[in-house]
Amino acid sequence: MRKILRIGLPLLAVTALWTATAYCEGGPKPAEQPKAKTIKELVERYDSSSCVECHEEAHGQWENSLHSRSMLGTGRTAPTIITAMEVGVKNFPYSGVKDDKDITVEHLRMCTKCHLPQLEDATDDVAREIIATIKGWQQAKKDGNDDYADKLEGTISSLNINCRVCHNRMAIIHKWSDGYAQPDTVYGSKEGAHDDPNFPKMAVAPALGESIFCGQCHGQGPNFELAHPSQCATLYGSYLFAYTAEGGSESCQECHMVKSGLGHDMQSYNSEEMRKMAVDVEVDGRSLFWRKNTAEGVIPMGIINVEITNKAGHTIPDG
Amino acid sequence: MPYPGRMGRGSEMGRGPYEKSGLLRETSLPPMKTTKETFEIPYPFKSYEKDGKKTRDLINDEIVVDIKLWYLPFGEFEGHEVVFFEEQKKLDLKTEWKWR
Repeated sequence: MRKILRIGLPLLAVTALWTATAYCEGGPKPAEQPKAKTIKELVERYDSSSCVECHEEAHGQWENSLHSRSMLGTGRTAPTIITAMEVGVKNFPYSGVKDDKDITVEHLRMCTKCHLPQLEDATDDVAREIIATIKGWQQAKKDGNDDYADKLEGTISSLNINCRVCHNRMAIIHKWSDGYAQPDTVYGSKEGAHDDPNFPKMAVAPALGESIFCGQCHGQGPNFELAHPSQCATLYGSYLFAYTAEGGSESCQECHMVKSGLGHDMQSYNSEEMRKMAVDVEVDGRSLFWRKNTAEGVIPMGIINVEITNKAGHTIPDG
Repeated sequence: MPYPGRMGRGSEMGRGPYEKSGLLRETSLPPMKTTKETFEIPYPFKSYEKDGKKTRDLINDEIVVDIKLWYLPFGEFEGHEVVFFEEQKKLDLKTEWKWR
C-alpha cells in the first residue's frame, strides 16, 4: 500500500503540474515597448511577412479575407471612420476634438478596438496620420488621381488584423489566469520550438479555438468600457443568447473555418459558401380568388409563402 | 436589419458607430428559427359593366414572381448588396372567372 502511494503521489503531482501549466501558456506582463510614432513603424512592428514562408496556404486564405484590410473594409469602413470623427466626435461637446489635430488614439478607439487593436501600441500622432491618410485617399479618388489613391489605399490596407494580432496580441484573453502573451511566442494549437527568429517559441492559447476568441471583436453589444460606447457588431451576444441558449453548440471557428473549408479566409455574406451554409429557403406559390369586401369585390390573387431558416449561429445579418 | 438606437436612448434610430449603442427593433433572421413571410400579389384585372352588371376580366392569367433574399448594407443598392437566395415562381389562374 505504501509502495502504491509512493508511486501514486508523485504521479498526481506531475499531473497537477501539467494541468496548471496547460492553463499558463502566457507569462508575466511584458515590459511596455516604446510606442510606434508612424504608421510605417506600427506596420513594421506587426509585420507578418515572415509567416508566409511556412504558412503559405493560411496566409493566402487570410489575404482574401476582410481581416487583411480591416481599416479599409470593402471600401466603406475607412470612410465610416471619417464620418464617426466628423459627424460624431467633432460635434460632441466634451470629446475635446474640434479639429483633426485634436484626434487621439482614445478617440479612434471606438473603431480601432476591433478594426486595429494594435493602435494601442502607437502614439496619438499615428491616430492623426491614419485620419490624414484616409482623407487623402478620399480626395485623391475624387480628383481622379488613381496612382496616389492606390498608394494611400495600400497604406490603409497595411493596417490590418494579421497573424501577429490573432496569434500573439489577442491570443490570450484571460490574462490573470493564463498569463499575458509573450513577445517571443506565437500562439496556436501546438507547443514547442518555432522556426522564426522573432518568435522562437510556440504555445497553446487556451481559447484560440473557442467562440469567445472571435467575440473579442465580433461583439456583445455596446462596448461600455469606452468613454463613449459604440456598437457595431452584436454577433457574439446573439451567439450566446439566441443560438447557444436555444441549444446550438458549434463554435464560430467550426463553421467559418472548418465546415466552410475556407480556413483563414474568414468570410460572411460575401462568400457564396457561407451564404449557402447560412440559410435554407423554401418557396411555395398558389393562386386564388379573394372575396375581399363589398367595396373592392373579388380580387384575383397570387400567394407566395416563403420560409427562411437561419442555420447560422447568430442573427443574419450581423457583424 | 436591426434598427440601432441612437445612444441607446429614446426612440430615434442611430446610424454611425458613434451613436449606435442600443437596439430599437431587431428585424434580423434569428438563429435556430424559421421565419415565415407571405406575399399577396393581385393579378392584373380590368373592371367593367356587361349587360348592366359589374364584372371583371383578368388581363393576364399568369404572373412570374422573382423571390430574392437581399442583404442590403445601409439600405442602399450601391454595389455592396448581395443576394442570399433567389428563385423564380410561375403562378397561373387559368380557370374561368365567374363573377358572383
